[in-house]
Amino acid sequence: MEVTWILFTIGVALILAKIGDSIIERFELPGVLGELVMGMILGNLVYFGIVAPQYLPIVSGSGFTTSATEIADFLAKLGIIFLLFLGALDTDIDQLKKTGVTATVSTVLGVFTPLILAWYALMAMGYPSREAFAGGVLLTATSIGLTVRVMMDLGVLRSEVGAASLSASVMDDFLGIALVIFAVGSGSLLNLTVKIVAFFIITGVVAWYLVDYYIKFAERLHVEKGILGMAVGMMFIFASLAEGWFAAAIEGAFMMGLILSKLPEGKRLMEDARAIGYGLLVPFFFVHTGAMLDMKVFENANALVLAAVMSVIAVIGKIIGRGFGAWITAWGRGREFLTTKENAWMSLQMGIGSIPRTEVALVDLMVAIQGKAIPPSDAPKFIAATLIFITVSVLITPPLLKWAFVKEIQEAKEAKAAEKVGRIQETKEKIKELKGGR
Amino acid sequence: MELESALGKFHSLKLASIMPKPESMPVVTEDTDIMSVLKILRTRHHVWVVKDKRSMELVGVIHYLDVMDIFLPPDAHKFKLGMTSRTLRSLLGGAEKAGDVAEREVLAIEDTATVLDALIKMRRYRSQVLAVVEGDILVGEISLRILIDEFLRLLRVGGATWKSLGSSSQSELP
Repeated sequence: MEVTWILFTIGVALILAKIGDSIIERFELPGVLGELVMGMILGNLVYFGIVAPQYLPIVSGSGFTTSATEIADFLAKLGIIFLLFLGALDTDIDQLKKTGVTATVSTVLGVFTPLILAWYALMAMGYPSREAFAGGVLLTATSIGLTVRVMMDLGVLRSEVGAASLSASVMDDFLGIALVIFAVGSGSLLNLTVKIVAFFIITGVVAWYLVDYYIKFAERLHVEKGILGMAVGMMFIFASLAEGWFAAAIEGAFMMGLILSKLPEGKRLMEDARAIGYGLLVPFFFVHTGAMLDMKVFENANALVLAAVMSVIAVIGKIIGRGFGAWITAWGRGREFLTTKENAWMSLQMGIGSIPRTEVALVDLMVAIQGKAIPPSDAPKFIAATLIFITVSVLITPPLLKWAFVKEIQEAKEAKAAEKVGRIQETKEKIKELKGGR
Repeated sequence: MELESALGKFHSLKLASIMPKPESMPVVTEDTDIMSVLKILRTRHHVWVVKDKRSMELVGVIHYLDVMDIFLPPDAHKFKLGMTSRTLRSLLGGAEKAGDVAEREVLAIEDTATVLDALIKMRRYRSQVLAVVEGDILVGEISLRILIDEFLRLLRVGGATWKSLGSSSQSELP
């Protein structure tokens, strides 16, 4: 009986996820929001008692947990693992190598400013230090997708600011994903640091040099999807190592994806891995996350206050952090550029481009909840706050970017108009010449 | 020559003996504009992108199918975690040079490999062309078209016919 309703729930979740994704994409917003909304609807059917929990085992905790919901939780966890694996596999390491001083400094400050602001703000609100730190980590990583799309529409993606934003975003993801270890990891700081170093030596150095041989070995097996199976198998081993050491399986999945991304053979696994990830596990993860938002949490004013504080820090923290980081480097143009209006404006553009948050914030949230950095009693509040600051950041960015790039847009329009006039002039002259020739 | 022995010989051929010279391959430098690349792709299935034509250091490859990413508007792409590499190939996204749209991770094989090695690699990764490299240097290419030409040439020279295998498809031959 249980299996029947688990299968039913997976089916409904996937169908609704894809429909929600499609609807929200029509509004030029990240499809993930649609998946989350569909999850909220499903989850609240249970929370409000409209559907009995055994028929929709997608929410857990608060007396809802059964063996069926544990299966749903585990599937969602696999979704996070695949999301990170795919994200890393698609990462362009060359882009990271190209990261200049401006992108590097602005990324570091753009990550640590909202982290520290939120850490202190949440502690001031009475949250314990570890929980407040976890709250700060949620605000660290930018989701560059929306910024890329808006910058493309505005025709400024290839500008100095656009290029720096792109390279910064890769490093930003790294930091956002890595920092969650400090939120969920247990033991002393020294113990944790030793484990982190050991983990990165094993996965980042040893595997980096051995992966080539590993893939060659997989090739020799000559079995159906052998390379994919061997790569995913190793990804799970890395994930288990990271889960055992820091309760953050995502780190292992991310590292395996990055390591594979350096090989053409690894990149060729993308389509197959995407089919597993985006065809099943990742949308299920987003719907599951949305389903965890019990709307009744808004009866509690604390949840709204937390959401408001995190939303403000999410926006202001990034603009100040990344913007100031870009400003102090003066875009590599020397001290005389530092105090110019242009430097200030470009830095502001850089800051605004880093506001959106989506996937990594949700991943960090789930890792923090599962790792008990955010205790179950506060989880609903943090889920609500995260979904709200994600929505705010995604909605606020496009108009702010349009405002920040208004001069560039005007210049591009004028250049196009001048080009058109030039072409007309050229054609007129040619006609004149032809007439003169007769 | 029997067809089976012709195939055996074909499989054991070294790539170095059948691959074209780099001068006859579709090669552009990183800073070549996309319009020139598109002109080449009207008649070829791929274009190699090198750092410069003297060193022939391989940077990437642009496949025929990549043209879809070049022509599509940015909003036709989905944005997910990780780099938006496909999206950045869009002309409307500001891609201008061959280096902007080239796929950097190129499937390659060494010139000491055999035709059989190349075929296995092509089938495994569903690729119709492989770069032949010495280190990072592009020294040749091997594509299905080259392999077909070579196989037909071998049959012509050796005089093998489909009949030797008793194939019923003889009538399909010209």
